[in-house]
Amino acid sequence: MPHLEVRDVVKRYGTLTVLSGVSFAAEKGEFVVMVGPSGCGKSTLLRSIAGLEEISSGSVSIAGHDITAAEPSDRGVAMVFQNYALYPHMTVAQNMGFALKVARRPKAEIEAAVTRAAEILRITDHLGKYPKALSGGQKQRVAIGRAITRAPEVFLFDEPLSNLDAALRSQMRIELSRLHRELGATMLYVTHDQTEAMTMADRIIVMNGGNIEQIGSPLDLYNKPATRFVAGFIGSPRMNFIASRVMRLSGRSVGFSLGEGRPPLDLEFAPGETLPILGDAVTLGIRPEALGDDGEVHIADAEVTVVEALGRETLVYSDARTLRTTDSESLDGYFAQLVPSQSDKRLGQQIELKANRSAFVVFAADGATLHDASPIHHK
Amino acid sequence: MTLRSRTVAIGLHAVVSLWTLFVLLPVFVMVISAFKSQAELFTRPLALPKQFSFAAFERAWGIGISGFLVNSILVTALSVFIIIFASSLAAYILARSERPVMRWVYVAIVAGFAVPLQSVMVPLYQLVSGAGLLNSRLAIALPYAAYGIPFTTMLFYTFFLEFPRELEEAARLDGCGRLEVFFRIVLPLSGPAIASGAIFQAVFNWNEFILALLMLTKSDVRTLPVGIYGLTGQYSADWPALMAGLAIATLPLIVIFLLAQRHFVRSLAGLGK
Repeated sequence: MPHLEVRDVVKRYGTLTVLSGVSFAAEKGEFVVMVGPSGCGKSTLLRSIAGLEEISSGSVSIAGHDITAAEPSDRGVAMVFQNYALYPHMTVAQNMGFALKVARRPKAEIEAAVTRAAEILRITDHLGKYPKALSGGQKQRVAIGRAITRAPEVFLFDEPLSNLDAALRSQMRIELSRLHRELGATMLYVTHDQTEAMTMADRIIVMNGGNIEQIGSPLDLYNKPATRFVAGFIGSPRMNFIASRVMRLSGRSVGFSLGEGRPPLDLEFAPGETLPILGDAVTLGIRPEALGDDGEVHIADAEVTVVEALGRETLVYSDARTLRTTDSESLDGYFAQLVPSQSDKRLGQQIELKANRSAFVVFAADGATLHDASPIHHK
Repeated sequence: MTLRSRTVAIGLHAVVSLWTLFVLLPVFVMVISAFKSQAELFTRPLALPKQFSFAAFERAWGIGISGFLVNSILVTALSVFIIIFASSLAAYILARSERPVMRWVYVAIVAGFAVPLQSVMVPLYQLVSGAGLLNSRLAIALPYAAYGIPFTTMLFYTFFLEFPRELEEAARLDGCGRLEVFFRIVLPLSGPAIASGAIFQAVFNWNEFILALLMLTKSDVRTLPVGIYGLTGQYSADWPALMAGLAIATLPLIVIFLLAQRHFVRSLAGLGK
């Protein structure tokens, strides 16, 4: 039986539907990350599970109990908020012990729970301080400690790291993963940052427009995105999308246009994959790391427009005027290329964009994936 | 700073300085007069006293200022307590409720602010009299509270709209019911609103004269403004004693205001939203 089960949850504000029938389940001890752009309904879903929002229909159960109508405090959940939400008039210890105090638990028990949580989070030195004397990272630790002392069935995190600076964020990611292992607790984590999702999750739920696009392990989503949306959302820099059309069909071999005057790109579809129809508008997807100077397919000639040298790797952006994109987040003809080393490419240089056949993903006009790429393994 | 903004700044300073003088001059005259003799007060009204004499203060204290002071403190404290308690609770519900009818309730409460005291004085007297409260401290403390609630509700309402909801949500997850969220989290963090609401109403109720004159006819329940007014007839206007009494009446408020001025200004600056 799943530990947390969400069934057909619908949330409407007047005529606006924020969640349109969302279902998923999480096993005990699983770290599930919900990710999606702002306004996709992920926070609303989390708050509905916490009981801070009333759902319009559907049900939520935790550890076998239907908690759809239960008070927030009776659901067995604890939540960590984006802005920490520490009580400014209480010390760190009082903040962490507040839930137990409200529940009228004996003083010794409260103290023991607070001490234990403080030790796990290494904030024992700060127990007597007030929140305003703490740094952002320390505040977030206290907020997590407040959740731990309640020993909930499910931890809920609402973008807990988005107020921290980049260095602290990557450190806290590691700590949260450690914490998850140590506590063995079920955690549901909301973020718009795909890096957080990829690095911490056992499973990722990708949401878009009030629906779940795909659920799967981080690498599943990366290697076999179910839709163009997932392909664009998971992975940084974004996948490159090329507007194309089906030019020829013979058996399971499909030819796609790559701009005027260029031979079509022939891809072999696997037996299980749905074949497109001749003349269909489709999108070709290719990851930035799959683009290079050599490869079986010459996609386009392009001019380098931006070079971002990151030391270990280089991001090269180029403009191939012959091609268009179907991606609303990118400009026509712009390609991102990730070179896994330092590069001598200069601004204005003319380059050839090439890739292997196996690197292409094909999406139908409605966004569904028709053909998967093979993952790239570096030796 | 540009020439224009400098000119504006100088102009503003001039206006504020003039206004400050306008307000402080009577206070100054009151204080120096309290140290003068009756004769000196009339011959050299604006000059500093030749010698500082506390005789007027002794006379004022002797005719029962201490009793008036106690009455004023009790009435003010009770009315301010009721105002803060009722207004904060009402404003919290109004600020958090999503029901459209609450919007109208809020408007109705605020409209109470616009009812002039003079227009309800007679029915109010009959009400208080009918309740058998005439010549008691409640006779004015309750109407004061009623009159203070609209403004203070408005003050709290704007404050609560800005109050971080996440704190309340965290408290609900921590097991607090609605009232517990209010009393354990929201109210302890409403210091600025409580301070300015309390000072504002304390000043008003401490100085209130008409209602007190109407409801309190016996000397032992009178508050300071009415009590001091009584000095005029009884002692054929002992002006230095009168001024000394007024100085005693003014002092507590000035002290409170100076102590809590920071809160006061901060929360009034947020009004009008």
